[in-house]
Amino acid sequence: MQAAISTAAQVKGPQRRPGWTGWLLMAPMLLWLLAFVVVPTAILFVYSFCERGTPVEWKFTWENYARVFGGTELWPLLKCVLEAAGVTAVAVLVDWFRSPSRMREERAESAKRVGTAIFVTVLLWIVWTDLSNVFTGTYVRIFVRSLYYAGFTTLACAAVGYPVAYCIGKASDRWRNLLLMLVMIPFWTSFLIRTYAWITILNENGLMNAFLQSARITQEPISMLYTPGAVVLGLVYSYLPFMILPIYGSVEKLDNSLVEAAFDLGASPVRAWQTVILPLTQPGIIAGVLLVFIPAIGMFAITDLMGGKTVPMIGNVIQNQISGQARDWPFGAALGMTLLAMFAAAFWFTTRKQGDDAVMG
Amino acid sequence: MTRSLRLPSGLKLMNLLLGSWTGVVFAFLYIPILLLIVFSFNDSQLNLRWEGFTLDWYRALAEDTVLIDALKNTLIIAAITTAISVVIGTVGAWLLYRYTYPWRKLVNTLIFIPMAIPEIIMGISLLILFSMTMSLLESWQALEWMPQWYQELTIQRGFTTVIIAHVTFCFPFVLVAVQARLVGADASLEEAAMDLGATPLKAFWFVMVPYMLPAIISGALMAFTLSMDEIIISWFTAGPDSQTLPLKIFARVKKGLDPSLNAISTVFILATAGLVVLSEWIKRSSREVSKR
Amino acid sequence: MNRRQFILTASAAALATPAFAAAKKETLNIFCWSEYIPQSVIDQFAKANNVKVNVENYASNEEMMAKLQAGSSKYDLIQPSEYIIEEMVKDGKLETIDLANIPNFKNLDPKFTKMPHDPENKYSVTWMAGNVGICVNKAKVKDPIKTYADVFQDKFKKRIVVLDDNREMVSWALASLGIGINDITKENLEKAKGVLAKWLPLVKLYDSDSPKTALLNGDCDLGIIWNGEGAKILQEMKKSKKRKLDFEYVLPTEGAHMFIDSLAVPKGAKNKAVAEKFINYILEPKVSVAVYDEFPYTLANAEGCKLLKPDQLANNASFPVGDPKLDTFKMISPDMAGAIDKVVTDLKNK
Repeated sequence: MQAAISTAAQVKGPQRRPGWTGWLLMAPMLLWLLAFVVVPTAILFVYSFCERGTPVEWKFTWENYARVFGGTELWPLLKCVLEAAGVTAVAVLVDWFRSPSRMREERAESAKRVGTAIFVTVLLWIVWTDLSNVFTGTYVRIFVRSLYYAGFTTLACAAVGYPVAYCIGKASDRWRNLLLMLVMIPFWTSFLIRTYAWITILNENGLMNAFLQSARITQEPISMLYTPGAVVLGLVYSYLPFMILPIYGSVEKLDNSLVEAAFDLGASPVRAWQTVILPLTQPGIIAGVLLVFIPAIGMFAITDLMGGKTVPMIGNVIQNQISGQARDWPFGAALGMTLLAMFAAAFWFTTRKQGDDAVMG
Repeated sequence: MTRSLRLPSGLKLMNLLLGSWTGVVFAFLYIPILLLIVFSFNDSQLNLRWEGFTLDWYRALAEDTVLIDALKNTLIIAAITTAISVVIGTVGAWLLYRYTYPWRKLVNTLIFIPMAIPEIIMGISLLILFSMTMSLLESWQALEWMPQWYQELTIQRGFTTVIIAHVTFCFPFVLVAVQARLVGADASLEEAAMDLGATPLKAFWFVMVPYMLPAIISGALMAFTLSMDEIIISWFTAGPDSQTLPLKIFARVKKGLDPSLNAISTVFILATAGLVVLSEWIKRSSREVSKR
Repeated sequence: MNRRQFILTASAAALATPAFAAAKKETLNIFCWSEYIPQSVIDQFAKANNVKVNVENYASNEEMMAKLQAGSSKYDLIQPSEYIIEEMVKDGKLETIDLANIPNFKNLDPKFTKMPHDPENKYSVTWMAGNVGICVNKAKVKDPIKTYADVFQDKFKKRIVVLDDNREMVSWALASLGIGINDITKENLEKAKGVLAKWLPLVKLYDSDSPKTALLNGDCDLGIIWNGEGAKILQEMKKSKKRKLDFEYVLPTEGAHMFIDSLAVPKGAKNKAVAEKFINYILEPKVSVAVYDEFPYTLANAEGCKLLKPDQLANNASFPVGDPKLDTFKMISPDMAGAIDKVVTDLKNK
């Protein structure tokens, strides 16, 4: 995710200062952002520091943010980091001594790469398996859970969607736009109707169970709906097109001669993909990751309908504050602002590393 | 599908695998849609399981002006939203690529806010914004020396407010898609065109737009789709005369989603699919004509 | 076919009543529960009175309040439930209603007039009543289910559907502890939390919109749901030819929540006169029956009940038999609403 943001912000063409035409053309978008993004966000920002009332009492308070982060202890998280670091250290040492023939620099490079990958994976895994003990604060835990769901959705969509996007991008002119439309058309029905169609398929007296039983794969109906599996299916189904479309944009401009050259030089399909195709389609993947991951954090309708609403998502909690029974707008606003702040911090942090001159101009 | 792939030679197996995976994914995308179509003929109000064949729901749909109006509203809103989003998003992506604006990073962050912010927060904050603007207007309207046109000015929830809200969360999708396309674009393309005497506008229109087109198309498709399916933000910002189809469908959950809702989806999907096929056919036949 | 018959009868009625002077078309902005008022009823009223009727929907009382509080919404008629009416009256958010303009008020069952939330019917008129009860699939659950505690047994783990409504859940826990469902204090809430901590992990699905779906689909075997949903399941039981369904709807012996959905005019309404006319129209016996046909909650219209078919009246989900213990909700303070929300969120978030 972090790498993704950094590259997206890095987009740069001919570095040139805008003249008056540049500003004039930019004005509509800037004004739009100011009027309908900055101002409404600012209103809610102010609300988030108010006391609850009907709907708000204009009295300053930190209470809402204290509630968001309340109950959080650092030690359990630190423990996870240490555990992950331990595993990583062992793995790096093994890697270091595995092939003594390598150069020192090469070893260091490999250690860095392998180490980072292992550390991140192990840390994510440890935290996920023990979420309720690692994140002791109620709302912080809900935040983290929502991030995990969004991350998983993004990964699954990328894995499922990449080959499809590649296929469409490399299809002949005749097929390309038709296939693109075909990806999108299912989503022009209402979300609710689509989800109910899935419910018809997955319920215990539904088509899937009928099929499994008639094929003698199972005897008794299986509970498929309102399980984590159903949630994953629903999420991938809903977000897939937003992964496929941007990747398609990159694949479509991929120069075939480069790929062919790789094969002529004897590369296996996997290696050709790794060294040539993947780097060239990376901007599309990054855009897809952004378009899926960011909206998926606040999403809850799908997890509710397919998963049974047994675990709260951050979107549920906010909804409940604003148009649900809790009716606490300032707290809902504080949760929303925290989400935005997290996102903005990640964005600024990752772009800062790229060097300010590239981004700031 | 597999045969039409333009992959390098000697890769038949990979092509086959890619093609069949694509087939599987398309099946995954379309199974619920097929079911939805089949169930529009279901003789059951609750529509949970198959009870028998009937065309009654299509008859009911023909009389259901509320649903038909809602579909009309949805299409109008989605079309206008897409048009505005494409213009703002494409021009924005191009400008951000071409020039280095001060505070570029800030602008880049702001663009992502409508995507990152939960829909409910965006819905309520826009509604508060609209009602605040209205009360501000009203308080100045009390002043007698204000001109007549100002006295009549009013902000009501309706098409304008929904479209504003929809564009706000749709255009970032277009922008991000186009930005991804522009990464590594050859900067000299446009300059070469201008060196050859094209005006900047012409260079943009005849060189950059065709280059960005695949991304513009996918951005437009995303914007249209998002707008078609949006519920929460629409609920806050739509007025009584601009109720969209998702709002009306959502309102019927309690009563039971009867098959007439499947019927309207079916009619719409088949109409779109028909249009797509028709336009392909026209394109193809015109191409054949030009070949002769 | 029911709907078509209704349209015929209603249009006959519309012709009989002298049409409203057609000088200037007035508008009536209704903000009501999701599809609670059938479109045919609205169309008939609009035609008969030459009024343009705009309808917007909400899915919960709290949603309605959120939109009203955000401002810029000018509605003439809203449909709040009892505890929200109490709150809105206290905050001065409702206009008074002139019962003299609503002669059909007399059609209401006296049980549903002059209720505690609006003792003189100054601000609201009951529209429909309802309750929250237990629905059991008897094909799957053989034991008799009579109380909340009967529902939440370990052997039904992940076979239970309940309303996604925090205050309801707390009220069930309170009732099973023998505490009044409106007796919401810090201490009682703590006790309820202990009960819910055992109950909530057994739940498979929280659904306020359409809990009948999971029961009819066989994903859940029993649940605590709205009586209108239960009544629909009982109707489906009679209708479905292909498969045998065996459901029953019971009200827990500890007592249950009875909600009173009402019609009221919010402060600042532009067209109170038309709103009153609409209230009067909807209290016509025939119109109320048309509503019941689509929403089988408890019909509060005594004259309307006389027009129902025997099998409709026999639906014990719509019309409770005997004298069950039913209580309405009282308004609660924002702090308590927040505390309830926190309790349930914490328990779900284990």
